[in-house]
Amino acid sequence: MRRYIFRGTSFRLPHVAFHADIHWRIPTGQRVVFEDFDDGIVAFDALVGSTHLLDVTAAEALAIIEAEPGLVAPAIHARLLERLGVGAESIPLAAVDELLWRLEDLNLIAGFI
Amino acid sequence: MNVGSLAPASIRAELAAAGLALNIPPITARLRSPLAFLADQIHSLYRDYEFVQSDAYADIDIRMLPVNGLRRWAGRQVQFVVDGVTPFEPFPLEHALPMFEWGLNWVVSHRLHGHLLLHCAVAARNGHAVLFPAWPGSGKSTLSAALACSGWRFLSDEYGIVALDDARLLPFVRPVALKNDSIDVMRAFAPEAFIGPVFPKTRKGTVAHLRPPEESVRRGNDSVVATSIVFPDFQRGEGTSVKRVPSAAAFLKLAGNAFNYEVVGEPAFRAVAMLVRSCSAWILRYGDLAAARAALDDILHEEVR
Repeated sequence: MRRYIFRGTSFRLPHVAFHADIHWRIPTGQRVVFEDFDDGIVAFDALVGSTHLLDVTAAEALAIIEAEPGLVAPAIHARLLERLGVGAESIPLAAVDELLWRLEDLNLIAGFI
Repeated sequence: MNVGSLAPASIRAELAAAGLALNIPPITARLRSPLAFLADQIHSLYRDYEFVQSDAYADIDIRMLPVNGLRRWAGRQVQFVVDGVTPFEPFPLEHALPMFEWGLNWVVSHRLHGHLLLHCAVAARNGHAVLFPAWPGSGKSTLSAALACSGWRFLSDEYGIVALDDARLLPFVRPVALKNDSIDVMRAFAPEAFIGPVFPKTRKGTVAHLRPPEESVRRGNDSVVATSIVFPDFQRGEGTSVKRVPSAAAFLKLAGNAFNYEVVGEPAFRAVAMLVRSCSAWILRYGDLAAARAALDDILHEEVR
């Protein structure tokens, strides 16, 4: 089992494609189920049986991608700000881009061009 | 009919012939062996367990057999055979009982996938069941033995067997495997408790088995609802401290402690969530059993309030 908390601020190396070109979706056959607790959201990857601890931003991003497959990072960013009721100064686009790649690392989402 | 109602000679004869099908809820395990000393040890430690007709269905069929062939040159040894398969290398003959106990644990952890199997001790008091999830060496067996000898209902020193539909805990009452210093600790803590023969130089050090209380064996079919999850942390010579664990963190600790969480999949995830939602979770650091017992009383008192 793996566990991750998405509160870090480190950034990945530049990607081959610019974030605005990459569309995000839940991988085929993937299903993530959630349990919401006061101190975090536990997500279960039903495809491979792994469990992850997410913060609310990560969980909302997953929910957005599940509801609207194919969005690009700026669109996901905009919906996140709306859902969480915060401004761009609280969650910059670069942080959302980083978050998306981390979720991709966990095979919870997949990018396509 | 209980094992203790049979004369030792009858137990030896049963084991050597068709076997003795022990009712160890939630399973029935048939044991066959020609080893008279093993029969006597089973007679003592499983005294209060019911057995069924030897030709009745048993979930698990175990034979403890002296090894024939070349291995005899390595000294007298015993082989654990389950349903005709030998999953382990033989043990020294005199370690037949520890091998039976470990082997049965191994079978359970590899087969009972209709339930979530947590690696934990379980004990209950006044209707409040407490899970003690921990990996080996953290003191959970000793702690559960101490509680069993202090009026608590003992459910297991090794397994939290969790029903997937409602997260109720099924008892798996077995002799408590005490290791190394724990043997003398328990002799001092509960001089009246029956502890079987001491087996030095096993693969886990010196081992002895404490017979579970008769009342706990008798209630082996009564499932319970967990109200607390206590992660024990034995630190020799340390004081006692109790710290609350937030729910999501408790979830990860509990799921990471299971034998078959990934095997069972989403129903296991749901069962862990049910447990975490219905229980308070704590880390109990302790240096002696009496202090741990007092701290647990405080935790249960907190639950009642």
